[in-house]
Amino acid sequence: MAAFLQVTLAGLVTGSLYGLLALGIVLIYRATGVLNFAYGAIGAIGVSVMYELIARGHFNFWLALLCALIFSFIFGFLLERIFARPVLNAPVFTKAIATLALALVLQTIADQIWPELAQSVRFATPFDSITTRIGGVYIRLTDIIIIGTASIAMAALTLFLTKSKIGIAMRAAAENMSTARLMGAPVSMLIALTWAIGSLVAALAGIMEAANLNYVGVHMLDSALLYVFIGAVIGGIESMPGAVIGGVLLGIADNILALYLAGHTLGPVNIGDPGVRESIIFAGFVILLFLRPQGLLGQRQLRRV
Amino acid sequence: MSSQFPLQNTHRNGASIARTTLEQTALFLRQNWLRLSGIAAALIFFFALPAMFDQIFGFSADFELHRVSLIGIFIIAAFAQNILTGYAAQPSLGNAAFFGVSGYMVVWLVNDLNQPYWLGLVAACAVAALLGIVTGGPALRISGAYLAIASLGLVMLANSILTLWDTTAGRESYLFNNIPAALTDDHSLYYFVLWVVIITLYLGYNLTRSRIGRAFTAIRDDEAAAESFGVNLTRYKLLAFTISATLTGLAGGLYATWGGTASSSMSSVDQTIAFLAMIVIGGLGSIIGSILGAIFVGLIPLLLGLLPNVITVGTVQIQITTLNTGIYGVLLLLALIYFPMGLQTIPALLQKFLQRRKQS
Repeated sequence: MAAFLQVTLAGLVTGSLYGLLALGIVLIYRATGVLNFAYGAIGAIGVSVMYELIARGHFNFWLALLCALIFSFIFGFLLERIFARPVLNAPVFTKAIATLALALVLQTIADQIWPELAQSVRFATPFDSITTRIGGVYIRLTDIIIIGTASIAMAALTLFLTKSKIGIAMRAAAENMSTARLMGAPVSMLIALTWAIGSLVAALAGIMEAANLNYVGVHMLDSALLYVFIGAVIGGIESMPGAVIGGVLLGIADNILALYLAGHTLGPVNIGDPGVRESIIFAGFVILLFLRPQGLLGQRQLRRV
Repeated sequence: MSSQFPLQNTHRNGASIARTTLEQTALFLRQNWLRLSGIAAALIFFFALPAMFDQIFGFSADFELHRVSLIGIFIIAAFAQNILTGYAAQPSLGNAAFFGVSGYMVVWLVNDLNQPYWLGLVAACAVAALLGIVTGGPALRISGAYLAIASLGLVMLANSILTLWDTTAGRESYLFNNIPAALTDDHSLYYFVLWVVIITLYLGYNLTRSRIGRAFTAIRDDEAAAESFGVNLTRYKLLAFTISATLTGLAGGLYATWGGTASSSMSSVDQTIAFLAMIVIGGLGSIIGSILGAIFVGLIPLLLGLLPNVITVGTVQIQITTLNTGIYGVLLLLALIYFPMGLQTIPALLQKFLQRRKQS
């Protein structure tokens, strides 16, 4: 039982990070129709800036965090202006492939700036090695802070989008660009703002992942990104709460499967192999989509003829 | 640009202006001379390529030819993706699953079961076709981004299973030791791939001009309209999945032959995205687009490999090798920004440009 709770906690931690990342991806997808495969690279650059500030600039952790988040916000804004604007009206596929190209470029640049990130490096957080034990479960302070921050960030983002004037305008622009423009919304600015917020969210999730894994790297979010996309689609890529739920479910499922499959064999096959776990998750995902093609919370698409 | 070869000038009342076959041929040639001469030039170029390589590269000619053969395999895979995504408008990213499975099938059949090579290749294509039907059926229920990500899940599933097969059998990748002797020679492999590409594209061209191809295009342009005109959506979409999977299977079998090994990286997300990138860069719904896209994706890394390792600008030394991926990304971005409808639009743009110059 303790082991089960322990992995559920770990699942909740990765799950809330997946959920946060999925939220950012859905935000950008809805606003600009871009399936952003560069999202992991964007987040990783935010983390790398934070690492730079702490390791070389000797910044205080909180100041570095603030600077990294501000940097990511501006970085996302610039990315939209320089990169996303020219392909805004291109077909969906062109945009998706363009983000892949962008990821290649960003990662190459980051590799050039921080060659030491190829080795295993980390930055210290104020919560390192603070652990309590409740029942048989070890809880790191980092775990609690990650789950808390991710939840607050998700709630704040949802509130911002549903209650604030700018947030409502952003959703209007996502719904129908030309109508929003006629209503007087500064659509071009709003789209740039969406990218800026998306980039900020990516950096926040990336920094927490770095604290969680104790590791900073240019490719640190790449493997998570696929899970995040799957989580977003399970929940319904049009729906923000759906994306979060999908991400959290996936994180928990992954960790629980890892616990129960470890150490078992089936004939010559070692079930504990991560490949088996991935197979089960992907197969489950594909089956789930066949049963509910629009995701858990997505609305069934009605076609007007 | 339309080819009006059929007897469109015969008068209904049998009046005397029925043209002779010779005149019709002349008309056909006049209307299509640009395209025809382009195809002829390309064929001559590709058949003469090995000889040219011998002149240019000398000792390493075989090695370079071997690397270029890969582009031919990519052309088949890109065309397969294009049938599904460009013609029938199904944004499926699952093709790398068939690519890898077929590669493993060929090696398994020829290597471990000692079947003849051609039988292995045909059987692998058949397996891929079957998988295409099996996965295509449920895929009809899903659309848009959901289909794209779900089929990506299929690729990861295939990747996990193939990796598992390798680890269980205790090997890094599946070595193909039994390749027929004729295909281990780089020249014959090149011509073999070239012929397969030519036959595939010729059949593909006819397919896109047939009832089936027009049904695909109708589905792409307007599903509801196509259905109301009697196009059976389920049947034709499933057909698109099957044809695409079969051709991808062919490419996968050739790839295992080309590399002398099948590895689970054939069914990776990177691979499937490379297929999509090829047709997006080249142009959706176009054969010439499939070719140009595959050449772009296959050739640019080779060309970047020819760059010197270090370039010195003033006092700054730039390590080019570490920048290759980034340069490739930048080129990709530029191509996408300046040709959002693909490189296939270049001839048309060029023609427009020439006409404008003629007028002024």
